Amino acid sequence: MKKIGFICAAIFLYANSAMAAGVEDRSTKLQDQLNGNHTYDAYLARALASIAEDEKAQHDTGVAQAFMDLAEQHAQKAGMK
Amino acid sequence: MKKILLLAAVASVSACSTHHLPSTQISDLDEVRAAIQQSKDAHAEKCAPEFQAKAVATMYQAAHEITDEAGYHPEEDAELIQQALSYAKKAREAAKTNCAKPKPVVQIAPRIIVKKPVVQKKVKPVVLEVIHLKGIHFESNSDQLTPSSTASLKHVVETLNKRPDIRVEVAAYTDSRGKAAYNLALSKKRAQSTMKYLLDHGIDATRISAQGYGEVNPIADNASAEGRAKNRRVELHILK
Repeated sequence: MKKIGFICAAIFLYANSAMAAGVEDRSTKLQDQLNGNHTYDAYLARALASIAEDEKAQHDTGVAQAFMDLAEQHAQKAGMK
Repeated sequence: MKKILLLAAVASVSACSTHHLPSTQISDLDEVRAAIQQSKDAHAEKCAPEFQAKAVATMYQAAHEITDEAGYHPEEDAELIQQALSYAKKAREAAKTNCAKPKPVVQIAPRIIVKKPVVQKKVKPVVLEVIHLKGIHFESNSDQLTPSSTASLKHVVETLNKRPDIRVEVAAYTDSRGKAAYNLALSKKRAQSTMKYLLDHGIDATRISAQGYGEVNPIADNASAEGRAKNRRVELHILK
């Protein structure tokens, strides 16, 4: 029983850190691809990605993911593939 | 090790405590939304994209922070609201300058022109159509949507995506039980909760507003349980 509890907790902690790392990577990719793009959607995507990183820094990974999703939607509108 | 894991679990659960959303913050968000709409109308997306984007992003952040169930930080929320308003104002002003076409230079004799002060009239949006959203329910005395409500809201998202030209107001009502002030506050939170679902599912924030009306405008008799159930409702007001 103790082992199962330990494994569950380890999975929970690993999943959180994995989600956090995902936000950082996605934000870096977005910033790179939108470099030099000065459209409204590009600016909005960058601002939302920045908020996502702030939320991630506060360990609010679910919200960070949501902001990152929104950032990528606008990045696509701005021409990001 | 066990103790550390237990502490982590307790900390994550305690972070889920809820807080009540003050109605002043709802009206603050409406003010930001209106300011962003004004700058958008002034073509800020094209002529002042950076300021306009910052205004919208800050509004999203403020909306999240205000509705964040993990904590209540009125000072931070107010600061975000002020930032969003400031960006929207800058966007509007920059758009006016950047979008203005260069005027031909004409030599004319100097003269004094006395202009009458322009009075800005607030135009109240006209409700073109009222749609009663069936199947939208909340937990008792709560602004939490029940799982069954999401199916109905998915249809609303689909409709709004098909009609990008329309703006809507999410209007929530309660029955007449309880104090009027409490009902008004609850309806505002429910309208906000419904709007948040639509925002989270990709509907542009400038197209939606939320308003709670409390127990006013009943559509059925509050004396019966059946009537009260009808009065506890969410409507979609299509705006001109």
